[in-house]
Amino acid sequence: MKRFARLAALTAASAALLSCAVPALAAADVPYDSYTFNYREYIEFTPAPYVPAGTVSGQTLGITPFRNPQSFCVAPDGLIYVADTDNDRIVVVNQELTGAVAVIETFDNGGTPDTFRKPYGVTVSEKNLLYVADTENKRIVVLDGDRAVRIIADPKSEILPAEYEFSPLKVAVDYADRVYVVARNMFQGIMVFTADGEFLSFFGTIPVSVSLWQRIWRSLSTKEQRKLQQLFIPTEFTGVDVDDAGFVYASCIDPQGTQAAFRLNPKGVDVIRKGENNNVGGDVFFLPAVAGEFDGPSKIVDILYRGKGIYSMLDSKRGRVFTYDYEGNLLYIFGGMGTQAGTFKAPCALASTGDKLLVLDSGRLEIMIFTETEYGSLINTAVGLRQDGDEGLAVDLWRQVLTLNENLELANIGIGKAYLTEGNNKEAMKHLKLGMNRTYYSIAFKRYRNNILKANLGYILTGVIVAALALYVRSLVRQKGTEKGDLLADD
Amino acid sequence: MTKIFTRDKFQHLVRVLNHPADTFYEIRHREKGSVPLALIIVFLFSLCYTCNRIFAGFIVNLTDPRSVNGLTDLQSIFLLYLLFCIGNWSITCLMEGEGRFKDIMTVTGYAFLPLIITYIPAILISNVLAANEEVFYVLIIGLGVAWTALLILTGIMTVHNYTLVKTIFTLILTLIAMFIIIFLVLLLFDMLNQVFTFFESIYNDLMLRG
Repeated sequence: MKRFARLAALTAASAALLSCAVPALAAADVPYDSYTFNYREYIEFTPAPYVPAGTVSGQTLGITPFRNPQSFCVAPDGLIYVADTDNDRIVVVNQELTGAVAVIETFDNGGTPDTFRKPYGVTVSEKNLLYVADTENKRIVVLDGDRAVRIIADPKSEILPAEYEFSPLKVAVDYADRVYVVARNMFQGIMVFTADGEFLSFFGTIPVSVSLWQRIWRSLSTKEQRKLQQLFIPTEFTGVDVDDAGFVYASCIDPQGTQAAFRLNPKGVDVIRKGENNNVGGDVFFLPAVAGEFDGPSKIVDILYRGKGIYSMLDSKRGRVFTYDYEGNLLYIFGGMGTQAGTFKAPCALASTGDKLLVLDSGRLEIMIFTETEYGSLINTAVGLRQDGDEGLAVDLWRQVLTLNENLELANIGIGKAYLTEGNNKEAMKHLKLGMNRTYYSIAFKRYRNNILKANLGYILTGVIVAALALYVRSLVRQKGTEKGDLLADD
Repeated sequence: MTKIFTRDKFQHLVRVLNHPADTFYEIRHREKGSVPLALIIVFLFSLCYTCNRIFAGFIVNLTDPRSVNGLTDLQSIFLLYLLFCIGNWSITCLMEGEGRFKDIMTVTGYAFLPLIITYIPAILISNVLAANEEVFYVLIIGLGVAWTALLILTGIMTVHNYTLVKTIFTLILTLIAMFIIIFLVLLLFDMLNQVFTFFESIYNDLMLRG
């Protein structure tokens, strides 16, 4: 019922928006909607944080076209490595994305030349070693230039089944050269390997949620029925990335649509913060998945840590890029499916270089480039400043954001908090209320109220004393009156 | 034609607050109650309810102001009120209740008076409360709700001349009766709809084929 009410409100809101805001949207001139979800989980359209700025394909790089590229990454030196899966090669693109620096098709594996077979994942470590998830060859190849320094294959452990076939899909490396691998059909979590290539353990298993109804239903069914029912297995991870502190960001396809991003500490415990809406699952509001492909929760296929606590996720269902800050606040959403320039067909990986966000599309066989707009850049910088503890410096930026998008709660909260530290409680209250932040509003309000009380304490106390005296006198007078009355009555 | 709003009736309305049992007895047996007055009380309660949803302080108010509609609140409160009265009447009729329908309406309507009285200070106080102090607001509203519940209980007990246990028992039955009424009404509407569509399709058939 609530959902339908919200839908009705949404339709009304979009109708109102269409009638008055068409010129503004047309001026933005992007082929997709940019929006965010506010405190009440309503969709709020925003200026575009990123705009399309061209595409990179095999042709523009001067090589043969990509075939089903599945992943790419940006090396510390700025080169971009693309896992061109069905071409069995790794393409190295220069920083400006104008040409291919190298195409790695063969490499030197201990003296003998070797090739890849459908490499799905690729990453570059801090030490500039290239890690390739060589999926069909069931191994991870660590390359220094075109020489293999290490091969991680055939993990052995008593917690792995004997007939286990290792087919790595995504790979990430932290500062200590530990290797985090998302493998196909591996539901127990991310596989961790030591720097020497030894299997260490599983990492960050996603807990299975079985509802009460499912449990009752299962207990009522017979053994044969149970065999045919679907298994309760955890969802697989889809993407993995490592942040500056060595925490692992991982994404999964969440059937509930509430948590698609994980931030795993070195113990493998999820420590992500989910923000005001308690949701880091992509779209907060969606239609139930009955009507078609476009409905249902977001299908997060990759996650990218972008520094300063900001991370982005890629939704392959509706082609959105979701960006969150460290606290789990939704910063902005942009992107969409389609055939226009700047829209996706089958987005599969995210990367960023400089102020550009890159999306790899395995359907269009292209890397799509998005550059940040003033709006996106202001938010990114302001959030970064806040993360560094320079909230005061961020205020000017938040103010500029508000001129571009008056409804952004995050900007209002940023300004409100700055006013609060400044001691301007009244302004702080105004902005924190607009930002729907009850905790900080309450602090500001308490200070404001207590200041008023303190300033007027003299009047208030005088009033109380005068009132008490008046009551006392009145009671005295009354008593006298009744005594008189009694006397009269006696007469 | 007797006067509806006499001074006497107003005094009895106020007396409900401190002498509920006596006043409800007088309402039943000495015609001291007034149905229009009860309806006004319910109307005022609906007004206070809506006001609370709009004007309660930011800290305690989680309601989306866009979702508040005073007319909808008024309709639903009156519907529930009538439903309760009809449900209670239909149950107590069969269970030797002495109250007339008019008495049930009067008593139930009057019982909302404490909620009106507590809503107003609650709304005012909520605007000067910070976090951790919401308990005052909750306490005041809770007090009003408990008082009203007590008044309904006393009222139903008095007008029907029931014991406490029997009152509680009939109140539970009243709830069930309310559900049955809702069910029947929905059923009726559905049937009417089907009949209507039946005739509509016959009409369409004749018009399009003939």
